[in-house]
Amino acid sequence: MTVFLEIEDLTGGYGDATVLFDVTCSLESGQILGVLGRNGVGKSTLARLVQGGLMAHSGDVRLKGRSLTKLPAYARRAVGVGYMPQTSMVFDDLSVYDNLNLGQNKKPLDPYFDLFPRLAERLHQKAGTMSGGERKILAFVRSMIEDTRLIVLDEPSEGVQPENISHMARCIKERASDGAGIILCEQNLTLLREVSDSFLGLDTGRIQLRGTADTLKPEDLREFISL
Amino acid sequence: MSTVLILNLAWQISTLALVALGLAIVFGQLRIMNMAHGEFVMLGAYAPFITSSLGLSPWLQVPVCLITVGSIALLMERSIIRHLYGRMFDSLLATWGIAILMREGVELFFGRGYQSVSPPVSGTVSILGTDYPAYRIVVICIILLGFTALYWWSKTSKIANKIKAMVGNPDLAQAVGINTARLSSGAFVFGCCCAGIAGLLLAPTIRIEPMMGLDYLIRSFFALVVGGLGSLEGLAIGTGVIAGTQTVLGAIASQTYGYLSVLTLSILFLWLKPNGVRSSSR
Repeated sequence: MTVFLEIEDLTGGYGDATVLFDVTCSLESGQILGVLGRNGVGKSTLARLVQGGLMAHSGDVRLKGRSLTKLPAYARRAVGVGYMPQTSMVFDDLSVYDNLNLGQNKKPLDPYFDLFPRLAERLHQKAGTMSGGERKILAFVRSMIEDTRLIVLDEPSEGVQPENISHMARCIKERASDGAGIILCEQNLTLLREVSDSFLGLDTGRIQLRGTADTLKPEDLREFISL
Repeated sequence: MSTVLILNLAWQISTLALVALGLAIVFGQLRIMNMAHGEFVMLGAYAPFITSSLGLSPWLQVPVCLITVGSIALLMERSIIRHLYGRMFDSLLATWGIAILMREGVELFFGRGYQSVSPPVSGTVSILGTDYPAYRIVVICIILLGFTALYWWSKTSKIANKIKAMVGNPDLAQAVGINTARLSSGAFVFGCCCAGIAGLLLAPTIRIEPMMGLDYLIRSFFALVVGGLGSLEGLAIGTGVIAGTQTVLGAIASQTYGYLSVLTLSILFLWLKPNGVRSSSR
């Protein structure tokens, strides 16, 4: 049977500088992979290598057996890879409504407006005029409503109020239960532990910790992130 | 103010707006300083001659103009411009070279001398007791209608939003599935075709020659400096100020003073308000 997502010996970075080395892991549909690590260890690089914002120096990323490595980001989106970046996560010059309706979206918005009513209140406001936390929520909701099979989330909880982080956790679990595979790059252990089925710990661009929610203890994760 | 001056003002503002529109798209949205913009105006103006030299009906001038300008613009984008997005100074130098090539190419086919075209609509219409060329009134109406449609399209179209998204955040635009290379290419060709159509519409009212493009490029650039980049409102303000100042001062003093005032205005704007009257937040 074909594995949903396979990442094999993935190495990449920015120009000639290699940031991520030989990352190998896999993910089944409906599962959530938590990627943890401190700032600058390669979480965002891994996210962008999977999503197509960066091209791999070597290695392969396969979605349902199809190699994505040579595809640009827009083509990966066409085959079902969604992405929420850590920074520059919204279109500042577009309204909240236009941000949410720009892609090929199929999920209804109302359930998300119930959870995040600030978005509904600011529907016609330019996204660039919103606070950092609100922009994170907008980018998060955009990535949730898109018609995608794999969602790569890069630090969605950064700067977001705890109440909204728990709403995010609920949305992530719902999307996974719909069959989407999710890669969640995070430093927020509470969110990671609440939603993740398996974990990947990165340090200096290499995998240093690997396990499932059952095999890894909370203190293992806490110790790893505070290294 | 006399009726003729008001009508001349409307003519100058509307035609400059049409010429500057293409530059506003290519420079304002794609950040490519297209020094060959005026040459696309010139190519459009030569469309009647291309049509007649191919033995085609005069009714085919618009498609001939669009095909000629569009295919050259597409070739230019695919071969050179595509590699220069985000490199404004390099794009300025490269398109300057292309502009020279285009001028020399046209000179090779049609010679260096002036050419002229008869307007498809002849005669005059009387407006408030003043006779004014009917063709100019028709062109003003076409431009007004075109800009109204474009304004409506820019506010409601998903493609317009995709262009704004691509310009504001190209990485995220790709991430939501926008093929930015294809969209940039389309926007560049559309901008050049606007210049070509401007040249075709202006052709019966001007002397056509291979060097004619430079003046249109400079005035379009001044209009964008004054109005700011990234909005149709800015384009309207910029063309209003530049064409208005030049026309009024040209009428009450001389063309030299008109041109001098436009230059002075542009320098003042570049110095004191470099983003123009109205620009997008970028």
